[in-house]
Amino acid sequence: MSEIGHGGKPIVERILDPATAKEKIRGLKQMPVREQIAVEVIDIAYGFFSPLEGFMKKADVESVCKKMRLTDGTVWSIPIVFDISDQELSDYGIKEGDSLLLTYKDAPIAIFEIEEIFTYNKQEMAKDVYGTTEEKHPGVKRTYQYKDKFLGGKITMVSKPIINEPFTPFFLTPLEMRKKIKEKGWVRTVAHQTRNVPHTGHEWLMKGAWLSAYGELPVEKMLVGVVVNAIIGEKRPGDYIDEAIVLCHDMLRKAGYFREDVHLTSISLWDMRYAGPREAVFHAALRANLGITHHMFGRDHAGVGTYYDPYDAHRIFDQFSEKDLNIRPIRVLEWWYCPVCAEVTYMGLCGHKDKVQNFSGTLIRSIIQDGVKPPRLIFRPEVFDLILECAEKYGQGDAFVTQKYLENRNPVFTFPKL
Amino acid sequence: MAETFPINVWINEERYAKLQEAGLAHLCQEMLAGLKVLRVPTTAEQRDELLKRYPMAKFDSATTKSIELLPRAVKDQIFDLIVEKKTVDVIGEFLKRQG
Repeated sequence: MSEIGHGGKPIVERILDPATAKEKIRGLKQMPVREQIAVEVIDIAYGFFSPLEGFMKKADVESVCKKMRLTDGTVWSIPIVFDISDQELSDYGIKEGDSLLLTYKDAPIAIFEIEEIFTYNKQEMAKDVYGTTEEKHPGVKRTYQYKDKFLGGKITMVSKPIINEPFTPFFLTPLEMRKKIKEKGWVRTVAHQTRNVPHTGHEWLMKGAWLSAYGELPVEKMLVGVVVNAIIGEKRPGDYIDEAIVLCHDMLRKAGYFREDVHLTSISLWDMRYAGPREAVFHAALRANLGITHHMFGRDHAGVGTYYDPYDAHRIFDQFSEKDLNIRPIRVLEWWYCPVCAEVTYMGLCGHKDKVQNFSGTLIRSIIQDGVKPPRLIFRPEVFDLILECAEKYGQGDAFVTQKYLENRNPVFTFPKL
Repeated sequence: MAETFPINVWINEERYAKLQEAGLAHLCQEMLAGLKVLRVPTTAEQRDELLKRYPMAKFDSATTKSIELLPRAVKDQIFDLIVEKKTVDVIGEFLKRQG
């Protein structure tokens, strides 16, 4: 029986077996791609981006930008595009109808069937997707950096990527994740999107969302799981290093702050666009493809600066029906520390607003940077110790991304040479 | 110093003992679930100079209104200077010593 993904379409892995791949790539023109593109090839091929079968053609890009839907009506909020320069088009002699062999770091990764070569106004794309044309917005900056033409067409992976340690056990494809969820006996799952190491505010966001998702289900056996899905992709200096994010989330379960039978840490490969509400919709589609039934959205989900209202990413879901998105949003306010309640508590419950101490991301980073162990009510000691361990082991002494880390880190994935 | 742009120096037990010895422990504030912090004042000029010298640091004007993400070694030096001088007004001296 097929697994149904986002948009009601079956999830189909677009991957050739090695013998067929060897045969099919013979004689194809080769073109190297950068990491941004390689990541999206993986996502398309495994079905993380289902129902997309390849990079978007112009009509889909336009429809996504203007209507937040693909041309077939499926909700989709962020264009998935393959950009190319005129020089490259001429150097590789690319024309519509060609099939190219994409390579990454000298290894073949996918066959790309070029169906359309097109242009698109990048300013217009930025304005529609990000609500701004300011280049200081990282998503806009990425858009402006696209080369001047785009290629649309289907992708078929010719070789599976190797996900390197320490990420190996956390990378589950949509079909693998669905299998895992079944094995665990979960009838509902709630996604926690993250790019942070977890403090107790995050822990309670997850616990609160788990309680919300649990609802009326019987409790003899736990039937709901929290699926932490860390976004692993392009990093900016000052971000937490990926290794610390993933391993520290997993530590919450290992150290017993979540039971073994209610928690799973996983990763998805994706370059954050910081598109706020539109990115929230994208995250919902991505997690629906993973077979997750609920998605927690907190304050300022996937936002940056002051481009979006803190709860725009909640309100955007008002325009979609259950048929549009087969994942249910769980909208949450903030968790904070209240010295009167003497606990981490919820904005929607605590009546001491003038006394509360917020989990400011900046303050938490400042504490970690100083290496001063915070109270366990703020940071679980096992998590804090692991951050420092990850800093030594993976971050050249720093828990945050530095130029040195970017230059020396072990790649998240590699492709084998055929 | 009319308007200040503080640096948060987080205080663990070891640092607290040193502040007690220097007679400065009373300057600590509790910020997050009892975690102690010493807020070291800077002038606007000192803030700008610090941000120029340590580009990874930032002044968080949106939430904390403080200078954050200075390298740990820099904050260690600032703390040591506070204990040595028995005052939190040390940034002028710190910048001078750094050249």
